[in-house]
Amino acid sequence: MAKQTFTTGQVLTAAQMTSLQQTAMGGGSTTAKTASYVLVAADAGTTVAMNAAGSTTITVNTGLFSAGDTVFIQNWGAGTCTITAGTATVSTHGSLALSQYEGGQLYFTSSSAAIFFDISQSTGMTNPMTTTGDTIYSSSGSTPARLGIGTAGQVLTVNSGATAPEWTTPASGSMTLLSTTTLSGAATTVSSINQTYKDLLVTVSNAAWNTSDDAIAFYTNLTSVTSFVRLTNTAVQATNLNTNIGDFSDGVENYKRTGGNNFTSLLIQDYAATTRYKTFYAYSIYEGSTNNGRRACLFGGFASNTAINSVSFRISSGYTLTGGSMRIYGVN
Amino acid sequence: MAKTNRPIIRVYNSETDEVIDREMNDTEFAQYEADQAARAAAQAKAEAKAQAKAELLQRLGITEDEARLLLA
Repeated sequence: MAKQTFTTGQVLTAAQMTSLQQTAMGGGSTTAKTASYVLVAADAGTTVAMNAAGSTTITVNTGLFSAGDTVFIQNWGAGTCTITAGTATVSTHGSLALSQYEGGQLYFTSSSAAIFFDISQSTGMTNPMTTTGDTIYSSSGSTPARLGIGTAGQVLTVNSGATAPEWTTPASGSMTLLSTTTLSGAATTVSSINQTYKDLLVTVSNAAWNTSDDAIAFYTNLTSVTSFVRLTNTAVQATNLNTNIGDFSDGVENYKRTGGNNFTSLLIQDYAATTRYKTFYAYSIYEGSTNNGRRACLFGGFASNTAINSVSFRISSGYTLTGGSMRIYGVN
Repeated sequence: MAKTNRPIIRVYNSETDEVIDREMNDTEFAQYEADQAARAAAQAKAEAKAQAKAELLQRLGITEDEARLLLA
């Protein structure tokens, strides 16, 4: 039933009451259209249903409706029906283009403005997942696709064509930074080193210290003199404690104590082994007392079955470290 | 522990992520002193060797390069 202006004493017929009831329940009389249409004042409170095979429009103009008036719009036909703002303003969060069997309510907030509450049904994503652990990714054309869970230890990577994600077994071999310690004191020790890696890489960068230029030295397992081994430039054995200076330099010039232009790496193989000896090598590039670009290399073995769980760095004469850092990496 | 004026060392515990600056313990200090002595002895030995070499060259009246040439 279209919007009415009732008068005092007017008697409503049964048909009018039925129509009003339908309108109150969200239904109401429907005017079927088969071609583009311009809303008129009599459409207030009614349903306008478009039924056309081709595209059509329903135009909304000003001066026809009052604030609070509503027009329900439906599209029954195969052709898209577009609600078009003629001289009035039409706002919506959704779309004003209605596909077949879509619709919505046009609610007027004034005689020149309306809001279209779109109740059209958008097509949701079809869930491609079937199995626990599945993930969804966008395949070609943004189509949802299923990626089944990988196997234990696999990691998510991009496939060789760079077109989709995939689960792959990571390449063996890796290096993990275990600690970074600022050098300080007469020695700097990293203790309780994780024993789960194959090899241990120790780097010392930009070491600086007081007093005098000097050689440098690494120690392992400094916490116990019985397990203490010092890296030397001759054979390294647990029994030659205190008998060999063996400090690390190129044998020509000491490391310059200031400036910190030095870098030293020490690699200990099988550092966590408890049933066999270990080997190591170390190299250093440094600024000498008078010349730059000094190079020193040191290699040898630890004649001990004791696992190495601490590494210390110090200046040979025990000078106080004033800068630089020591990093420990576990290598697999 | 009473203060002993021993050198301070830094110990980083990789397991607990704890950094401690402390004096050397007995074991470490013993090793430190032994290293100092060994280092000093080695330096003294190197200096003595250099001194003996210089004196020999002076007695022979030749330079170091000339000595190398003789041995080449």
